Amino acid sequence: MSATGAPPLLAVEGLSVHIGRRALLRDVHFSLRPGEALTLLGESGAGKSLLAQAVMGNLPDVLRAGGSVLMEGRRSRADDHRARRALWGRGLALLPQEPALALDPLVRLQAQWRETHALVGGLGRAAAQAATLEGLRSAGLAQAAGHYPWQLSGGMAQRAAAGIATAGGARILLADEPTKGLDAAWRDRTVALLQSVRQAGGCVVVITHDLRVAEALGGQLMVLRGGEVVEQGAADAVLRDPAHAFTRALIAAEPSRWPRRSPPATGGLLLEAAGLGKVYGERLLFSGLDLRIHAGERLAVQGSSGAGKSTLGNVLIGLTPADTGTLRRADGLAPTAFQKLYQDPAGSFAPRVSLGTSLRDLARRHAFSWGGVEDRLGRLGLDPGLLARRPAEVSGGELQRIALARVLMTRPALLFADEPTSRLDPLTQQRGVVELLDGLDESGAALVLVTHDEGIAHSVGGKTLHLASDV
Amino acid sequence: MSAVLDLPVLVEQRRRQHHRRRRAGLALLASVAGFALLGPWLVSADPAFQALSDSLLAPGAAHWLGTDVLGRDVLSRLAHAARMSLGLALLAALTAAVPGVLLGVIASWRGGRTERALVMLADAVLSVPGLLLVLLFSSLAPGRHWALYLGLSLSLWVEYFRVSRAASRPVLAGDAVQASRLLGFGPAYLLRRHLLPALAPVLGTLLAFSAAQAVLALAALGIVGVGIQPPTAELGLMMIEFMPHYEEAPWLIAAPVALLMLLVLGMMLLAGDDGDAA
Repeated sequence: MSATGAPPLLAVEGLSVHIGRRALLRDVHFSLRPGEALTLLGESGAGKSLLAQAVMGNLPDVLRAGGSVLMEGRRSRADDHRARRALWGRGLALLPQEPALALDPLVRLQAQWRETHALVGGLGRAAAQAATLEGLRSAGLAQAAGHYPWQLSGGMAQRAAAGIATAGGARILLADEPTKGLDAAWRDRTVALLQSVRQAGGCVVVITHDLRVAEALGGQLMVLRGGEVVEQGAADAVLRDPAHAFTRALIAAEPSRWPRRSPPATGGLLLEAAGLGKVYGERLLFSGLDLRIHAGERLAVQGSSGAGKSTLGNVLIGLTPADTGTLRRADGLAPTAFQKLYQDPAGSFAPRVSLGTSLRDLARRHAFSWGGVEDRLGRLGLDPGLLARRPAEVSGGELQRIALARVLMTRPALLFADEPTSRLDPLTQQRGVVELLDGLDESGAALVLVTHDEGIAHSVGGKTLHLASDV
Repeated sequence: MSAVLDLPVLVEQRRRQHHRRRRAGLALLASVAGFALLGPWLVSADPAFQALSDSLLAPGAAHWLGTDVLGRDVLSRLAHAARMSLGLALLAALTAAVPGVLLGVIASWRGGRTERALVMLADAVLSVPGLLLVLLFSSLAPGRHWALYLGLSLSLWVEYFRVSRAASRPVLAGDAVQASRLLGFGPAYLLRRHLLPALAPVLGTLLAFSAAQAVLALAALGIVGVGIQPPTAELGLMMIEFMPHYEEAPWLIAAPVALLMLLVLGMMLLAGDDGDAA
């Protein structure tokens, strides 16, 4: 796809980002000609998003960027933000990490999509409308055209943000985790969208935790760790024959390579659902669903994005009422026997209270000895010093571990885990899932795991439920 | 992206700026409050003592801010006026805050009919201009402090109700509250760990704003002569008393106006926008 010999469309030389004296990103070089792609891999916090922001010219003032950026034939100093701002939208587009925050909450999806075609893409009224409908259709969002962003599921918002980010026709696209929370089918469609930018003579920089995206995209690959480039080269060569130990560990942690755990012994019936049905808005999520969950059982729920996986979990543990059908809990279960592990752990803790305070309150509520809590946190490899911090001041991986320790304190009979690791890099993900299953094995609790990743669903070693989607 | 923008250093910088502004406001308020509390004790002159021979004296060693047309010491009267305005305003703002916040939280917690009824009540109060409400009450018992205080509180609670209803709704709908409920915590816990910590910064701001509003309302009532009655010293009353002597003794009217400005400015600086948006 690349035009060899053509001048680079985007080139970065000696890029660094400092805060005070501390380097957050050091000495990054790459060069992309029209049609080329670069994938950035690495742990959370390795500086991948920072790199994208530095290329955009959107770094906060306290961060100092060094080096230079060449874009569409114009070279500018990395810290000369204004030089590249003129290209935003038409020449350079960013697909940000949080699609929910990137969309305007007060404007219907179709209207903001059309606005981008008309105002950024410069299309006429009718052409913008036609392009919008085509975009909505190919993103599988035709039925959601009149929805507001808050009515979309995470995966739907992700697809919408991707479509709108590319609507301006920018030749350079920076995508920050564009496939987060998407199942295999939509992941492939998103990769196809990125490829179409390349085919149109653009170039793409993709930040991802998903090696399958790197594989499918091809092009160049860069592995970052702690702000430094540990390995860089052609994607297929690096993935086939990684030179650095960290790259090897990262590849080994890919969910499809995880070992399948042996299923634990199951006990008596915990929960029996008959003929469950749920409608969301005008859409039927599921109907006539029969399900029996026994103590200690592992159930993975899969399905395309927006198919109602999370809603089913919420219905099962009693957070959301079902529209039809019956749900019967076994007798003698405590009211707190059904617990939930959230996709975004930061949102599930009281934000203005220290983690230690939250856990101590809970220990008191459930007559759980504080020594036992400290013991569990220690086994999860958590530093007791973390407890003095607030939830927003702890990394996602650590916080999910604290959330796990928290739900286990209530001695749950059933745990509903809603994509508990989808925001984490593969290494942290694998560790998180193993810790989750170890904790459940120890307590004998059953698990309902919602995940878009077939590798993870397979590795937990239980049954898998596929929710069909009518979208 | 949010991870980049939420860097601790940035948050720290915003917070420091915000703190500087608050400190300035606090210093201003503290000095006015100090003047109001200690003034009557430091300035030995009786605010009601008349000496017609000393009418309209210019500021000097005996009377730092001069005397009014009845020969009363202006500094002493100003200190008494400041004490009354500040005290009455703070008291009214606080008594409005407690029921306002509780009703707001109840409305968004219960939803449905309870919420509709409370919103309707608040809208009904809101449809009458605040100053008019205070006027109505003060006409029940002209010149009495309690009537003014009651009128002020009744017009101020609506703002607390509206803000705490709106601010507690996303908190109650959030995952954190859902998780706490699942973990077996009751309403008292949700109030203590989730709602009040989330409301506190907004309420602090609102308290300063509504106290400033009350100070201004008192002065406005004093000016039109239906608030505090003479011979009690009150800022608005002093302004209207000094107005006829604007030509011969302009420093007189400058004193209550400057004090009122400093008081309201201090409260506004203290309120500001809260830098702790995260």
